[in-house]
Amino acid sequence: MKTYIKKLALIALVFGVIQSCTVEEFSDLNNPEVDAFSESLTRGDLQDLIGGVLFSSRAGLGTYYDDVAVVGREYYRFSSSDPRFTTDLLGGDASVLDNNTFYITTPWGARYRTVKNANIILDILDAQSGSNLFTAQEIEATRGYLRTWIANELLLNLNLTYEEGIRLEVADENNLGPFVSRTEALAGIRNILDQGAMELQNGGGNFPFRLTSGYDGFDTPATFRQVNRGLAARVAAYQEDFTGVLSLLGESFMNMDGSAASLNTGLYHVFSEAPTDLINPLFFALNSSSAGVRVAQPLFLTEAEAGDTRLSKIAMRDEAITFAELTGTHDFFLYTDREAPLSVIRNEELILLAAEANINTNPTAAIAALDLIRMSAGLPAYAGATDQASLVQEMLNQRRYSLYGEGHRWVDIRRYDMLDTLPIDRVERQDADGNTIQADDVWMNFPIPLTENQ
Amino acid sequence: MKQTLLKSVLLLFFSALPALAMAQGTVSGNITEASSGQPLPGANVVVKGTTNGTTSDFDGNFQITVNSFPAVLEFSSLGYETKEVNVTGPTTLNVSLDESATGLDEVIVTGLATSIKRTNAANAVASISAEALVGTTPPPTVDGALYGKFPGAVVTANSGAPGGGLSIRLRGATSITGNSQPLYILDGVYIDNSSISNGTNFVSAAAAGGNASNQDNPTNRLADLNPYDIENIEILKGASAAAIYGSRASAGVVIITTKRGREGKTKFNFSQSAGFVSAINLLGTRNFTEQTVADAFGAAAVPLFVAARDSGQLFDYEEEIFGENGFISNTNLSLNGGTDKTSYYASVSHNNEDGIVQNTGYEKTSLRLNLDHRPRDYVKFGFSANYVYSSSDRGFFNNDNSGTTIGVSLTGTRPFDNLFPDENGVFPDNPNGSSNVLQTRDLITNNEEVNRLILGGSANFDLYKSEKSSLQLILRGGLDIYSLESLGLFPKELQFQNPDNGGLNGVSIQGTTLNKNYNLSGFLVHNYYSDSGINFRSQAGLTREFFDRNTNLITGSTLVASETNIDQAANTGVNQTRIRQEDAGFFVQEEVNFDDKVILTAGLRGDRSSNNGDADELFYYPKGSLAVNLHNFGVGGEGTILSQLKFRAAYGESGNFPVFGSTFTSFGTFSTSGLLGISLGGVRGDSDLGPERQREFETGLDFGLFNNRIRAAFTYYIKTVDDLLLQPTLEPSTGFASQFINAGSLRNNGVEFTIEANIFDNEDFKWYFDANFFTNDSEITELNVPAFNVGAFGATLGTFRIEEGASATQLVGIGPNADPATGLQVFGDSAPDFTVAFNNRLEYKDFELTFLWQWKQGGDNVNLTALLTDLNGTSADFDRIDLDPAGQVGNGAFRLSNLGVSAEPFVEDASYLRLRELGFYYNVPDSFIETAFKGHIEGIKLGFSGTNLINIFDYNSYDPEVSNFGSNGIFTGIEVTPFPSSKRFLFHLQVNF
Repeated sequence: MKTYIKKLALIALVFGVIQSCTVEEFSDLNNPEVDAFSESLTRGDLQDLIGGVLFSSRAGLGTYYDDVAVVGREYYRFSSSDPRFTTDLLGGDASVLDNNTFYITTPWGARYRTVKNANIILDILDAQSGSNLFTAQEIEATRGYLRTWIANELLLNLNLTYEEGIRLEVADENNLGPFVSRTEALAGIRNILDQGAMELQNGGGNFPFRLTSGYDGFDTPATFRQVNRGLAARVAAYQEDFTGVLSLLGESFMNMDGSAASLNTGLYHVFSEAPTDLINPLFFALNSSSAGVRVAQPLFLTEAEAGDTRLSKIAMRDEAITFAELTGTHDFFLYTDREAPLSVIRNEELILLAAEANINTNPTAAIAALDLIRMSAGLPAYAGATDQASLVQEMLNQRRYSLYGEGHRWVDIRRYDMLDTLPIDRVERQDADGNTIQADDVWMNFPIPLTENQ
Repeated sequence: MKQTLLKSVLLLFFSALPALAMAQGTVSGNITEASSGQPLPGANVVVKGTTNGTTSDFDGNFQITVNSFPAVLEFSSLGYETKEVNVTGPTTLNVSLDESATGLDEVIVTGLATSIKRTNAANAVASISAEALVGTTPPPTVDGALYGKFPGAVVTANSGAPGGGLSIRLRGATSITGNSQPLYILDGVYIDNSSISNGTNFVSAAAAGGNASNQDNPTNRLADLNPYDIENIEILKGASAAAIYGSRASAGVVIITTKRGREGKTKFNFSQSAGFVSAINLLGTRNFTEQTVADAFGAAAVPLFVAARDSGQLFDYEEEIFGENGFISNTNLSLNGGTDKTSYYASVSHNNEDGIVQNTGYEKTSLRLNLDHRPRDYVKFGFSANYVYSSSDRGFFNNDNSGTTIGVSLTGTRPFDNLFPDENGVFPDNPNGSSNVLQTRDLITNNEEVNRLILGGSANFDLYKSEKSSLQLILRGGLDIYSLESLGLFPKELQFQNPDNGGLNGVSIQGTTLNKNYNLSGFLVHNYYSDSGINFRSQAGLTREFFDRNTNLITGSTLVASETNIDQAANTGVNQTRIRQEDAGFFVQEEVNFDDKVILTAGLRGDRSSNNGDADELFYYPKGSLAVNLHNFGVGGEGTILSQLKFRAAYGESGNFPVFGSTFTSFGTFSTSGLLGISLGGVRGDSDLGPERQREFETGLDFGLFNNRIRAAFTYYIKTVDDLLLQPTLEPSTGFASQFINAGSLRNNGVEFTIEANIFDNEDFKWYFDANFFTNDSEITELNVPAFNVGAFGATLGTFRIEEGASATQLVGIGPNADPATGLQVFGDSAPDFTVAFNNRLEYKDFELTFLWQWKQGGDNVNLTALLTDLNGTSADFDRIDLDPAGQVGNGAFRLSNLGVSAEPFVEDASYLRLRELGFYYNVPDSFIETAFKGHIEGIKLGFSGTNLINIFDYNSYDPEVSNFGSNGIFTGIEVTPFPSSKRFLFHLQVNF
């Protein structure tokens, strides 16, 4: 008995000692941690971090383009599982835009996610001074690349909130800058682009990372700078700084040869079906049902000039489709498969920016640029009035068809203060019981997301 | 046998108690069951006020050495009333024990290593016996048997799919983002109750719209347990009772004890149930006219409708999908028996249940062996092993963003479209949607298969034993290991997999999870009886728990031919998730019992965990309690109406760990056209994160009237949770969507009331009745971050909102009377106002009737099923006019007109009244069995039972009890086209031999 007790006491002691061990502390077993990169950045690390920007700059784009195109009455987005595309976005009956619904929160958050991804890399780069793994030029080129993307992402968000503005200063997540007005935001974005252009200028011959095929022709600091200048020209146009537009276009990749190939030259987002990748969010198969389909707003077809080849961007459905009292006969078919690239900026827009910038000062040059676009679309040269208002009308119309579904129509018509010219598809009417259903509304802007606590 | 028992008793006492001075002698005798006169083996005999005790043998005989006369001998056995007998000297004593009708003599497990008599407990610990668990009707899963059985629990079935998927909330919301499901302990083993996503989100895209929650409708692993094996379930509802479990106990602890062998000849118990399930409630279809078809689907649809109607080809697809009667069969065989040294319980059970949708079902096989061995009088070993195989076919339901789940696509299926396959088995495409529900039902596979082994072992050593004190060492270990394989197969023949329809040409999703938990613990328990009759019980212990889970989810799309293997897919993706956690803790507890008059307890638990921001930090959780048996002080008591009166109060603290990963800020890994990249995951971690701390105070009165024929308990509790783990949204311009922080406090307070009564207790007629009532209010008392919305589909459709000063489960949305500052108005609360259950058990001669009613009053859901059917113009009540206050507009149009204007029509009252359980049994008379089977069979019971046979609610969908987001957090009650719930009808045969 006594020996038993001794043995048991011994077991208890051993057991107790084992028990009193401290517990193991685990790192994140599933994902790389942000802090892991702060010290020595390798070339492989930088490639992965840049890859993050390539990825996140495409996230949420489907919602962004749907927002701009639906509010701008380019196409309808039917979704039987989400009615808000046809209620809120079109202002159906009494519905309004909500400040905490996916149509604003998803794209808004995704764009700032890219900005944060880029800012994290900028911070890491700042900590690499004296690194012998990168040349000063490579670091400069990387900064220019990142700043160009930051500016692009901020501009897309500003397109949604417009006069409500955006936050410009977001590098310090614990101390966010204030919301600034549209004017201030545009100036800030242009500054970021200018700074990026400077850095790209000093960035030597090559980026220290690989890019996708969407960058073909723009994968060096010098050529990517032409994209940066093109984006700056877009911003200048939004600022109505037309002199600036023209000088920026001169430094961009604008090419006036008028061939279809050159019109499509530009920077693209690319997609693949790899499960860790994204597919083109704007592709639906032809004749999709109302479970999920984009249907061209009928006026896009009926208001087109005869013979406009740009109508190939829509495709006739086997049967017309009706959903939520909206009917269309043609599918939006700008993207014909799930891996179709999606343009960030391309030459056709630059030419139209040149036309727009010249309307005031050099109408002849403006008409020449418009004609270049018209002829590439299979249309005769412009024969209308050449007063400023008529030319603006023509320019907006060409932008409507040339840049259909690419996120411009609503933005353009808004900056010319012509939102009231957009069609109202569902007018005031009575339901079967005699109650009034209000007409649709055309929105000026999306509200700032609720979670910004403004 | 008598000789060896005597020898060992004598050996023990003579060797352990050398110094004995007083008059000493032996009392021996026989213990019988009062009603039958049969000997009662295994009954406890204790000299009151000492550690001196023994148990009766196989024949009910006992022999005990009493060191000092006069003495009081206490005779007790589980399920029988305790009896005390005064002895003045050595004698022979025959004792008969009455079966306990009150449950007051049972012991409840309140410490990690010890138990306490219910009459002395300071907490309202709910206890559910095997009889209550499976006696009325066998539940499909253990958690499904908890409805209405005790106050304080809100049990919610997330879906009606066979194979479970339930969540339990004890005493209100205990955490917003942390774990809110109780800790389950099975025979000392910390068992896993996860719901692991099966990856069908890849097809449904449910989480694409910004809702990252789990909407895949998985089962929860508690479903693996066989309810028939369970002897008893105890529920520690909050920190005041569960503090000793420390950092894992905030949401309560459910202690499950399985049946163990009893000394005696082997007893067999065989039971077979068979029956069927059918849908509780179908919604019906809209009665279309030419006009309504034209309004809903355009003029082009009218000729299709007319043709179908005129040829009698209008189909009720809801009936087609949900109208099945699924067959159920439960077979259970158990045996138990043993000698005085070794006893065993073994069981085999097989369940097979089909769902109300074709190709859904649940199958489970469970094997159990529990062994107890007592090689010496001072050593006892216990061992239990449980193997479970289960397979569930879940169908394809809940929310989606791709129009593919059966639930969502059914809302867009028109009665005049013929979706049936042609003679070659080829299904037509659904012209009005992206999937053909019949095709999806028949061709997809969504299966979860589990192989699980739960092993537990314990060793009890009496290190030291004397007349007035004893020291016991208890060592325990447990292992819970399982593999879960999930298969989601979406063959290329499906309408939505056809590349011409934008499909992926076949998808195969295969998941494998390996989960291993093990826990080790050791305790020392010291008992000391003072001369004045005070019992001091001290205990100390160490515990250690390890958790390791590894999930691989492989997704393949564009399948070759009709292959389903992942390597036959053109595109594959792999997702691996690992979760590991290590906890270490210690505890000490002192219990002082003043002659069953006043019972005081104080304890302290200390815990550290790898899941805290600082893994080395120890967190301390104290507890203290007081129970005063006033009837032992002359307030009422023996001979008065008031046979029992106890005042009790308890305080305790417990914790809740941050979830794994919340202490890190990490990148996710993605690719862009072949280039790998890492992008922020959107959630900012906090390396300083600590556990939530719950403080609960509970007080109450227990009383018994008329010799305890009526017993009631009244409890009030208040519990606060500080350092709430929150995942509030961050300003999205930070680049993060949300962050993990400890920021805020939450308070729950509530009242619980139970009453039990043996209304009639005659030879021929017995009527037992019990009822319980409870209510709970929660409030966010402090919030250090701005108020935020969480847990649903946005303010347009109704969402939860965490806001200082408001209920933790309030539902808000946009609306006409919105607060201008937030644009939101409160429409409801998902927590019920109160819940009541009534249970009746009537026995007349050989017949038994049991039924349990449960009434949940209040509590709101966000019902989006109705909205989806409205949008598709198919709601059954589309043309009915009872929602519009003006009485003008049909319900469908009314709800639609509120879309984007007010969330009010989507927030619906989810009250219900149900006949949860009904059982009717006939015990074949012993006399007949004796004649017919000549002693080969001991008892035969036949019967009928049902679950959810009557359901009364005014809720515009299948069932108010539903949750699209599974058991995730506290945010249940969001409905998007679920698998409808069902009622069960069963016939039973039970044979004992």
